[in-house]
Amino acid sequence: MARVRNWQIDREMSYWYPENRPRKQFSAIFDTNKCIACQTCTLACKTTWTSGKGQEYMLWNNVETKPYGFYPLGWDVKLLGKLGGQQWKGARYEGRTIFEAAEGGERVHGWRPEEIDYAYPNVGEDDCTGAKLERGDFLTLPHNRWFFYLARICNHCTYPACLASCPRGSIYKRPEDGIVLIDQSRCRGYQECVKACPYKKTFFNPMTGTSEKCIACFPKIEIGEANQCFVNCIGKIRHAGFVSKPEEAREDNPLDYLVHVRKVALPLYPQFGLEPNIYYIPPIHVPRPFLLQMFGPGVDHALETYRGAADDPELTALLSLFGSTQFIVHRWKRENDTVLGFDEKGAELVRVPLREPVHIREAWDSARSIARVNIP
Amino acid sequence: MKNTSRPSKNPPKKSLKNSTVQISCALLIAVVAVAGCAKPAAAPPVEVDAGRVSTLPAGPADAAWNAAPVYAAALLPQDMVEPRLLEPSTASVNVQALTDGISVAFRLTWADDTKDDLPGAGRFVDACAVQLPAAASANVPAPQMGEAGGTVEISYWSAAWQAIVDGRPDTLAAIEPRAAVDHYPFEAASLAEGSKEQKDMALRYAPARALSGAARPAAGKSVQDLRAEGPGTITPATETKSAGKGVRDASGWQVVIVKPLPDGLRGKTRSQVALAIWNGSHKEVGPRKMRSVWIPLALGGGA
Repeated sequence: MARVRNWQIDREMSYWYPENRPRKQFSAIFDTNKCIACQTCTLACKTTWTSGKGQEYMLWNNVETKPYGFYPLGWDVKLLGKLGGQQWKGARYEGRTIFEAAEGGERVHGWRPEEIDYAYPNVGEDDCTGAKLERGDFLTLPHNRWFFYLARICNHCTYPACLASCPRGSIYKRPEDGIVLIDQSRCRGYQECVKACPYKKTFFNPMTGTSEKCIACFPKIEIGEANQCFVNCIGKIRHAGFVSKPEEAREDNPLDYLVHVRKVALPLYPQFGLEPNIYYIPPIHVPRPFLLQMFGPGVDHALETYRGAADDPELTALLSLFGSTQFIVHRWKRENDTVLGFDEKGAELVRVPLREPVHIREAWDSARSIARVNIP
Repeated sequence: MKNTSRPSKNPPKKSLKNSTVQISCALLIAVVAVAGCAKPAAAPPVEVDAGRVSTLPAGPADAAWNAAPVYAAALLPQDMVEPRLLEPSTASVNVQALTDGISVAFRLTWADDTKDDLPGAGRFVDACAVQLPAAASANVPAPQMGEAGGTVEISYWSAAWQAIVDGRPDTLAAIEPRAAVDHYPFEAASLAEGSKEQKDMALRYAPARALSGAARPAAGKSVQDLRAEGPGTITPATETKSAGKGVRDASGWQVVIVKPLPDGLRGKTRSQVALAIWNGSHKEVGPRKMRSVWIPLALGGGA
C-alpha cells in the first residue's frame, strides 16, 4: 500500500495506489434541509441510465430516510459496526479507515450485501425517532422527533474503494474530471467493488455479468451541463461543480467556497477514508452525535454557519444559486442583491436575486370591483 | 456418470449392522488373499498423461476416457495476490487428458455438494479452468496466471454459461423467477420487436453487451479462451476456439474442455498444465479460487 494525503481526515493514510489526483474533480453539494424525498432525482436517473434488463434493482441515485432508511439494507451501520471505534481528535481522525482495517488477504475492509438486502428500498421511509435509536417513535405535537432525507449518488471519491478492490484494474478515475467509471469491456463481474464500496453504489448486473455504477452523467458534464438528478431536483437541493484541494481553493468557485472557505458542506462518513466528493449541508434539527458520526467533526461549525445564512449575504447568494441553471457554474460573484454564475470561460450563465421579489396585491380589486381570492 | 473418479469429500459411513460387518469381514479376507497373489498396485501417475487418440471426446461420458489415466491434482487456496481465498474449499480435482496432436482434451472431475449456476448480487457460480504455457520454454511462466513475457493460455468454463447452452433461457425470469417488471423502454409498443431500432435501444441499457465485453462468452459456448501475463491481466482471446461441456450429479461436476494446443506447443511432447476450481456457494470468484501448481503434461508422443 502507498501513503497518501486525505485532507478530510487531516492526515496521511494507506491506500492501494499512490496519490494521483485528477486535473479537475467533479463534486457536488446537497442541502439536506431542502430535500423532501420526492424521488424525482431517483426516477430521473432510473429512466436515463438503469432501465435495462438486470438493472431493475439498481438505484444509482436514491433518497433514504435517516436514521432507519437504507439502500441496500444497513449499508452504513453494518460497516460502522465492523469498523469499530472511530475517534476524532479535533479535525484529525484517529481511527482506522477501511483501507487500514483491511484484513490479511483483502484489499479493503468491506462487506458484501446479499440479494435480500436490496429488497427494501423504502425501508424506514418517514419513520422518525427520539433520543434512542434502538427503537422507533411516533410524532407528537409539538414536533419533537426527527428524521431527515439523505439523497445519495456515487461519491466519485478521490480514493475509491471500488477502484482499489478490483483485481483486474477495470475501474478507473478520469484524469480530466475525476469521475469514477467501470470499464464495461473489461469487467468480469467479480463483485469485489460491490463488497468494497462502503456507500454500496456499485451494483452487479446478472444479465451482463458486469458491475455497474453511477457515471455522473459524464456525457453531460463533458459539455458543461449538470447531471440528470441535479437538473430534475424540484427542491433545488443540489449544486454541481468542481472542488479543489484545500490549499488550492478559490473563493469564486462555488464548491470551494462552501466546502473549504465557509466549511458549511461536509463529506459523508469521512472516517471511511475515501475522500468522497459529494458534500452535504447537514440537517439542522438532528442530534449532534448522530451528525458527528455521519459527517465528521465539522458539523457544529457547518450548522452554526448555515443557521446564520439569512444575515450573511455571501452565503445567501451562493445558496440561491442552487438549482438555478442547468449548466455547471464554475465561478460566481455577488453584486448587491444579485448573484451571478459563470461558465468555465467566464460567460454569464445565470443571474439570481438574493430575495425573491414580493408583489403585494390588495384584497379588493377596485378596478374590477371584486374581492381577490388568495391563491398562493 | 459412470467410471468417474471423483475425489470424495466425505468419509464413508461407519454405522453398519452386525450381519453386514460379518459379511464384509469375510469379503475383506478373501480380497486380501487374492491381492496377496496379484501384482503390486500401480503407482499413481506423477503427471497428466495425454494419450494419443484419433478423435477427441466431446463430452464427459465418452468411453474414450475409460482408458485415460487419472491424475489427482491437489489444490491450494490462491494466496499469492489480494484478494486471496482465505478458507480452502475443494481439496483436489481429478484430471485426465487426451490429445490428437492438434488439440488437447481435459476431463476435470471434482466434488461439489451444491449446484451454483445462477449469477446474482452476492451470488457466484461454479467454474473451472485449465491453463497452459503459450510456448514451450525452459523457463516456465509463473504458475499463477503467467508473468510479463511469459504468456499463458487459459480456457475457463462456467456453470452459468453451461446452463444457457443446455437450454436455460438467457432472461431475467430465469435468474430471478419472482421478479415483476412493469416496463422496459425498448419494449414499448411503438418499437417493432426485433427491429434494429429496438435492439440498438436495448443495447444502450447494456453497455457490456454492446461492447462484447470480457464477462460473457461467445454465443453458444460454455467456455471462454483467455490469455494472461500475470494476475489481473487476463484478456479474452481474439476468438474462443476451445469447446467444453459440463455435467453434474449430486456429488459434483465433471467438465470436459477441448482446447487447441497453443501454437508454441504444437509438435512438443512435454509441457505443463495448471488448474483452478471455483465453488460458487463458497463465494469463490476471480482470484478467490482453489488452484494447482504446474503439473507435468505428457502430450502423447508429439505431433
